[in-house]
Amino acid sequence: MSAYIDDFPEEAAVIRAAFWSSFVALAIGAFFGLIQTLHRTDIVRIFDSTDYYTILTAHGVFMVITFTIFFLVGVFTWAVTTSLDRGVESLRFTWSWYLLMSLGTVFTAIPILAGFVDSIDMSADVLFTFYAPLQAHPLFYIGLTMFVIGTWLAGADWFRSWWAWKSENPSERIPLPTFMVLTTMIMWYIATLGIAVSILAFLLPWSLGLVETVNPLLTRTLFWYFGHPVVYFWLMPAYLMWYTLLPKFAGGRLFSDPLARVVFVLFLLLSTPVGIHHQYLDPGISEGFKFIAMTNTMFLLLPSLLTAFTVVASIEHGARQRGGEGYFAWLGALPWREPAFTGMALAGLMFAAGGFSGMINAGMNINYLIHNTLWVPGHFHLTVGTAVALTFMAGAYWLMPQVTGKPLASKPIALFQTVLWFVGMTFMSNAMHRAGLLGIPRRTAEPQYEGFEFQAAVGSVAELDAQVAIGGTLLFVSAVLFLWNMLITSFNRPTETLPSNVIPEPLSGSDDSPAVLDNLKLWTLIAIVLVVLAYSLPLASIVDRGGLFGPGGDAFPVRLSPTLVAQLLVDTVQEGLR
Amino acid sequence: MRISRGALLVLIAMSVPIVIELRTVASFVGIEVPLSVTLALSLLVVVALVFWATLPPKQEPESTG
Repeated sequence: MSAYIDDFPEEAAVIRAAFWSSFVALAIGAFFGLIQTLHRTDIVRIFDSTDYYTILTAHGVFMVITFTIFFLVGVFTWAVTTSLDRGVESLRFTWSWYLLMSLGTVFTAIPILAGFVDSIDMSADVLFTFYAPLQAHPLFYIGLTMFVIGTWLAGADWFRSWWAWKSENPSERIPLPTFMVLTTMIMWYIATLGIAVSILAFLLPWSLGLVETVNPLLTRTLFWYFGHPVVYFWLMPAYLMWYTLLPKFAGGRLFSDPLARVVFVLFLLLSTPVGIHHQYLDPGISEGFKFIAMTNTMFLLLPSLLTAFTVVASIEHGARQRGGEGYFAWLGALPWREPAFTGMALAGLMFAAGGFSGMINAGMNINYLIHNTLWVPGHFHLTVGTAVALTFMAGAYWLMPQVTGKPLASKPIALFQTVLWFVGMTFMSNAMHRAGLLGIPRRTAEPQYEGFEFQAAVGSVAELDAQVAIGGTLLFVSAVLFLWNMLITSFNRPTETLPSNVIPEPLSGSDDSPAVLDNLKLWTLIAIVLVVLAYSLPLASIVDRGGLFGPGGDAFPVRLSPTLVAQLLVDTVQEGLR
Repeated sequence: MRISRGALLVLIAMSVPIVIELRTVASFVGIEVPLSVTLALSLLVVVALVFWATLPPKQEPESTG
């Protein structure tokens, strides 16, 4: 019965480094989030509106790439080593992928942040989605490539651990946390092929000037091939913690190991062949392909609903172990004073709301109502912004003491922080969803227009703006409290009285799950077949119509050459004379 | 107290989305709730929750068996 650091001190150092990389990204991302919220709502504008895309890119990339994925590699390393009860095969290899990811992050960050400095001729105002015609400095793409290769090597590290364990335990089932990591990584390998092709074959050569033009629709489609499964890449570590840690915190055990395995297999199969549902309004893709993507997307609701059932059943079991009774009174027996439990429970609750708004996004016809409106950021702030981010922060309250050997600095502040995030996000995302229904656009620095006013169905647009600003500010304060707590925890004195790093055995264990579920080769093959079925015809059609590098068009931001300026002047004068 | 302080904090937090969404839902059936009323209602809900939570716990009836 010992803490993680007692058994794996060297791996704990890697996990600490990964967590701190994640927290630094959270700090930068949260700062830009606050700036952006106050700017959009016209409360305070400290940056010029022309820098809005720089702010938006920094917020998006630091939050959903760096914060989430660095935390993921930390959690996955913890999960694999804990559940296999063995250290990594080569610590040098483990540090090498961490360093590659870190270097990639620095390379990506330089052109993004250089966008604020006019004297530096470098920018990457391409948003998190970075498809053409928005063009970044080559360093941005090189950094992203290094970061992704780092995650591939991390996955290889975990597979190596499993293969080594398997050779010593040939007849054993894959331990559930390791199974979750491996299936997620297979999904990630398949999904990242899309951006690997997009960056290496098109965007990077285009940015370097090696090719004149690219096919914007092709780069968009390749991005969304990756862009939807990346959502599940963020979510799977949160799911892993809901399945393994939440029942433990509640005082019980996971309800069903087989159901958990089915859920992760379904995510492996269904996460990737759905990306076209982000392109319902793209004119170059036929409606039939979009309909197939919608159908696949609706199937994705199944593993989420299975998760809701399994996790809630596990929590209820825990509550009843603690003396909880009745139909609903057992809820009172749960450990609400524990920030790790409360944060994850609230995150799960908000994920349900995010799931409902996600169904609207996924529905092909009703999507037209909210496409490119503020509804969409309202939706993903419930999913990645809360289900993932709040679960990570709550998980950190338990994991950081495990990997540092030091007790949490302040449990009451941690509890307050998780609740504050929930309240802040309620304000912000509610107003964003409602504003989206009015048609208020996303990705816009100043959505206030002369001679036109959005008509609110309830209250006023000013109220919605106030709600967004208040919510965004509360979220920023919550992030600061979290980071402060983590910092003080790191300076705490080590203690001998940390909870043990044991994951309780599920009520229905791995012996109850069919052996075929552990056949990773089979699921990988089916996943690839589904991707080929969903994407081969749309991609062939896009390339057939526009070519691999055409039909082209100008890149943004446009570089103003003297000839271009002269041409613009001539055009303007001619237009005026007509 | 009837519930722990942590549970009370969570209950108050959970009342926030309910009060906010109630205003939207009320508008679906033609009831326009002004912002001031929503704020007053929020305060009332919080006070009621704190009052209920700080009441002494119910006494279990003594067994006669």
